[in-house]
Amino acid sequence: MLLPWEYGVRNLMRRPLRTLMTLFALTTVITLVFVVVGFLRGMERSLSISGDEQVAWVFSMLAEENIETSAIEASIPSLLTSSIGSTFNRFDVDYVSPELFLGTRVTLPNQKSGFGLVRGVTVTAPLVHRKVQLVSGSWPQKNEILVGRLAGTKLGSHDGLLKVGDVIEFEGASWTVSGHFQADGSLYEAELWCRLEDFQMATKRQDISLVALQVKTPSAMSEVQLFCKERIDLELTSISESEYYAELREFFQPLRTLAWVVVWLVAAAGVFTGLNMMYGAVAGRGREIATLQAIGYRRRAIVISVLQEGLLLAAAASLVAGVLALVLIDGWAVRFTMSAFRLRIDGEAIVVGCLIGLLVGVLGAVPPALRSLRVDVATGLKAI
Amino acid sequence: MALVEIRNITKSFRKGEETIIPLDNVSLDIHEGEFVSLMGPSGTGKSTLLNLVSGIDRPTSGQLVVGGVEITGLSRSKLADWRAANLGYIFQTHNLIPVLTAYENVELPTLLLKISAAERRQRVRVALEAVGLTDRAHHYPRQLSGGQEQRVGIARAIVAHPKIVVADEPTGSLDSETSEQIQILLERLNRELGITLLMVTHDSELSRMARRQLHLDRGKIKELASENQPVSVSAGGA
Repeated sequence: MLLPWEYGVRNLMRRPLRTLMTLFALTTVITLVFVVVGFLRGMERSLSISGDEQVAWVFSMLAEENIETSAIEASIPSLLTSSIGSTFNRFDVDYVSPELFLGTRVTLPNQKSGFGLVRGVTVTAPLVHRKVQLVSGSWPQKNEILVGRLAGTKLGSHDGLLKVGDVIEFEGASWTVSGHFQADGSLYEAELWCRLEDFQMATKRQDISLVALQVKTPSAMSEVQLFCKERIDLELTSISESEYYAELREFFQPLRTLAWVVVWLVAAAGVFTGLNMMYGAVAGRGREIATLQAIGYRRRAIVISVLQEGLLLAAAASLVAGVLALVLIDGWAVRFTMSAFRLRIDGEAIVVGCLIGLLVGVLGAVPPALRSLRVDVATGLKAI
Repeated sequence: MALVEIRNITKSFRKGEETIIPLDNVSLDIHEGEFVSLMGPSGTGKSTLLNLVSGIDRPTSGQLVVGGVEITGLSRSKLADWRAANLGYIFQTHNLIPVLTAYENVELPTLLLKISAAERRQRVRVALEAVGLTDRAHHYPRQLSGGQEQRVGIARAIVAHPKIVVADEPTGSLDSETSEQIQILLERLNRELGITLLMVTHDSELSRMARRQLHLDRGKIKELASENQPVSVSAGGA
C-alpha cells in the first residue's frame, strides 16, 4: 500500500523557498535541454525538407560536391534538355534551372556586413524548386534581389533590415530588395536570389555553378547520371537533391552526437540539483520515515513516495520549460555554417524534453530515497 | 495461551570492542487485555524489548510469538504487514507527520487495512472521539499542544484495532498536568476497550497505573506487582 498522494505533495511545501529554487534550477536545465533538442529537430527538419527526390543537380566533377566552387559552361542546360528525355516538361517549358551560386560578403543598409549566400537564377528556378513561394513583393528585375525568410539571420542581422526597397551591396554592385520568399523551412530560405545574368555580370563570370533539373520520376535520375558518365568530355557529375542533403545530414552526424552529449551533460546538472534538494529534504525526515515503517508502511512505499516528490517537481519544471520552449524557443532563427534554420519545438521535441526532465526527477530522487532507508527503524525513531 | 510469548530472548550488539547485552535470556508472557508497565534504569534494554515485541528489531536468539505468529522469522516486508495489522505504537515524541492533519495522521494506519472508505472514516472518527479530539481533527500538528499531539498519537495507535499497543515513555516529553491526562487516557483505553498495553516508562506514578509492573535491570526482568495471577515471568540464568 502506498502513502497518500497528499503526503508527497505537501512535503514539497515544507521548505517552499528551497522547492522554488529547485524548481527554477530544474526549469532552467530542462529549458536548455529544449534548446538543444529544438536545435537538433530544426536542423534535422531543414535538411530533410530541403531535398526533392525528383530534382537532380548537375555540376562540375572537379567541385567534389562543393557547389560554390563548381563552374560549368552556360550551354550545359540546353544540352541536358535535349539529351535527357525524362526532363519534366509542362506547357512546353522544361523544368531546368541554370544557377550561379556563391557565398559572398554582403553589406547591409546599416553598413554592417555579413556572409551571405547568393543564387543567380532564371524564371524557371521556382518551377524546379517547388517549395519556393513568393510571399511579398515581386520577382527581381535588373539589379534586384529576392530575400529568403532566413537570409537576415544568415547575414547576422534582423529581418527588418531587408525590407522591400532596401538597398544592399555585394560583388561591387548595389541591389534593391524586390520581395521575399519562403521555402517551407528548407535551407533555400537563407539565400538571396537575383537574376542570373545580373549576377554573372557582377561577378564577371560567363559560366554557371550548376543546373538543377526536375525529372518525371525519381527513377529517371539514372538517366541524368548516365548522361554525365557518357559525356566525360564535359566533366560533369550529378546527384539527386535529396541524396545531397542526406549526405549533408551524415556530415553533421558528429555535431548531432555532440549536441546529445550536451543534452546529457545539462541533464546531469539537473540530476545533481535534484539530488541536492532531495537529500536535504529526506535528511531531516529520518524519524518520520522510521515512524511510517513502525506503523506498517513497507520500504517500497516510502521509496515511491520520495520518488513521487522528485517526479512531481520535475513534472512541474518540465511543464514550465515546455511552455517557455513553445512560446520563446520555437521558431527562433539561428545562423549555421552553410545556412540558417529555425529551432523547432514539435511534439517529438516536447516528448523528448519532458521525458529527460522526468528522468532527471527520478535520478535525483532515487539515491536519497534509498539512503533514507539505510538507517534501521529503531535507530531512526530516535533521530532528531 | 498468552498474547505475547517471549521465550529466552537475548539481544546483543557490538559497540567498538565491547559486546553489549541489553537483554539476556529473557522470557515473558503478556495476556490479552493486560496493561503492563516496564521500568528500569536508562540503557537497561526496555526500549530494546519494546522494539522486539514491535517487530522493528530482531533478537540475537530466542523466540517471540505475538498473537500466535512467530515474528522473529518473518521477512522485513511481512513484518511491516504484521505491524500494520497487529501493532499500535505510541512514541515518546508523538512522531506525528507534520504535513498531515490530525485526522490524516490517525487515518494513516487504516490505509494499510483492507477496509472500505466508510469503515475507515468511522474508525478514525471513533478513535478521535476516544481521545477527545474530534474538534481538532483538521488541525496540523504544529497547531496542537504537546498533550493534544500525544492524544492524536494514541488515536493513531488504536485506530487499526491492533492486538497490542506498545508505548515508549508516552509521557516523557509532557508536563505533569498533561502527563496525568495521558495516564488517565491510557488506563481508560485498557479498561474500557480492553486494549492490551505494554508501556515503557521512567515515571513510577504512571507505572503504578498499570495492572502489572515489571522491572528490567541488567538484562533481567523482575515482576514488581500484578493484579492478575498467575504471572509468567522468568529471567533466564537467574
